[in-house]
Amino acid sequence: MNFGQRLGSAFAAFVAFAVGVITLLSLLLGDNPALFNNQPGSERLAELLAVPGDVLLRLVVIVIALSVIIGIANLLYVHVGRVARGKVYSGALLASFAVTIYWHLTRQGDPSLLEAVQLPIESSLAALLFVTLVAGASRVMQKRADVWGLLFVAVVVIVLLASVPLAELAPLRGWRDWLMRVPVSAGARAFLLGIALATVVTGVRVLLGQDRSYRG
Amino acid sequence: MDETTLQIYSGLVLLATALLVYAARLLRRRRAQRRIAGLERLPAWTGCAIETNRPLHLSFGSAGIGGDNTPLALAGNELFHHIIAGADAGDAPPMLSMSAAMSLPLAQDTARRAWNRDGDLTRLRWLPSGRRSLAFAAALTDTARTEEPAAHVLAGSFGPELALILDSAERRGQPSLAASDQLAGQAVAYALADEALIGEELFAAPAYVADDGRAGVDAIVMDLWRVFMIIGVTIALFAQFSQLLPEFSWPLLAAGGAVLLILGVVGYIRR
Repeated sequence: MNFGQRLGSAFAAFVAFAVGVITLLSLLLGDNPALFNNQPGSERLAELLAVPGDVLLRLVVIVIALSVIIGIANLLYVHVGRVARGKVYSGALLASFAVTIYWHLTRQGDPSLLEAVQLPIESSLAALLFVTLVAGASRVMQKRADVWGLLFVAVVVIVLLASVPLAELAPLRGWRDWLMRVPVSAGARAFLLGIALATVVTGVRVLLGQDRSYRG
Repeated sequence: MDETTLQIYSGLVLLATALLVYAARLLRRRRAQRRIAGLERLPAWTGCAIETNRPLHLSFGSAGIGGDNTPLALAGNELFHHIIAGADAGDAPPMLSMSAAMSLPLAQDTARRAWNRDGDLTRLRWLPSGRRSLAFAAALTDTARTEEPAAHVLAGSFGPELALILDSAERRGQPSLAASDQLAGQAVAYALADEALIGEELFAAPAYVADDGRAGVDAIVMDLWRVFMIIGVTIALFAQFSQLLPEFSWPLLAAGGAVLLILGVVGYIRR
């Protein structure tokens, strides 16, 4: 990495750090006069502190909108290239894109294209997903032939059987309710807590300018 | 908890995390990382991609910058950077897919920096769909057929639709590693992927695939926070027990806590 690249990387890291800290402080301290014990002028101060965060978040919205345009350009670029290589599905995608744009321009607010095409396809895919999930669950023991795989399959079987509306299977419903209420709920909370902690650490890493995106 | 207290606590947690990041650098030399099976197979998959001249498929799912899963997108991006850099000796550039538009510039920049030759925009696939998108998953099943990737690394935000992608990969004999911040996606990843990363393991992944000291520090800080949380939850649990059972005395409670602490320390040292 030459000097110019290093300088650019340091500048990018500094900008990321500055913007991150300003936004964070603005969100933490802004719009809450109680933080300043409601002293005279604290409302005005809290409003002023909220301004940088508000402005930067609005800028994010604009950038996201721009990135959608970049995405569409990428989509067209990729699929035009694939059509040139004789890929039929890409041709169908480009044709659908053109039809949808034309539909939107000529019949604004008409949802019939969505209802006639998108919803049935998504519904079919949802049904396919169910079949895939069941087939996948049946293969779990091939992949994970250990106690945890066995436990996974046992829980899936109990939950599925308990959902069947047969009087003979009624005792299983108590087991299912307990499973969902205690172990599943505890596991889900532990999973989400782990994600939340890792999110905080990653956020701090970005704030400290240690993320590779800024280091070049 | 009122808003002011919440803001103060949030600030304190962030400050403590920043301090831990610097303090953990001292610990890093003495501590071996725990093993994560899913990440140990990545070098073999990368080698296979190079030898067979097939691309690796890396996917963010619906994780993107600007949403509530921004850190997830950044963590996935860091992992992908190291994977792409590892596959740099091959001829087939890796393929990145995403459904969040804001991931596209991020992925493009990562591919450009990690793949040390002219970038190829066609290797990036933006499939415009929202969260839990079946259309996104269906499009990726076609990718598994047409591009024939050497392996799939799906590290981002996925729902149950992940099953379609993993099943397609399985039928074509393509190995897969999956991780998601959504519960349904995580369950599907565990059941159907060859390897799955659970919870925060995705965020710690860069420390395992690269010789980068800063990433290793992140893994230590996450473990430290988790230990603090376990201690806090255990104390709260004992406090609840002491209220429920009047005969459960505080000295007994302290003795129980001390025994657990000693067992934890012994287990940690032995490991």
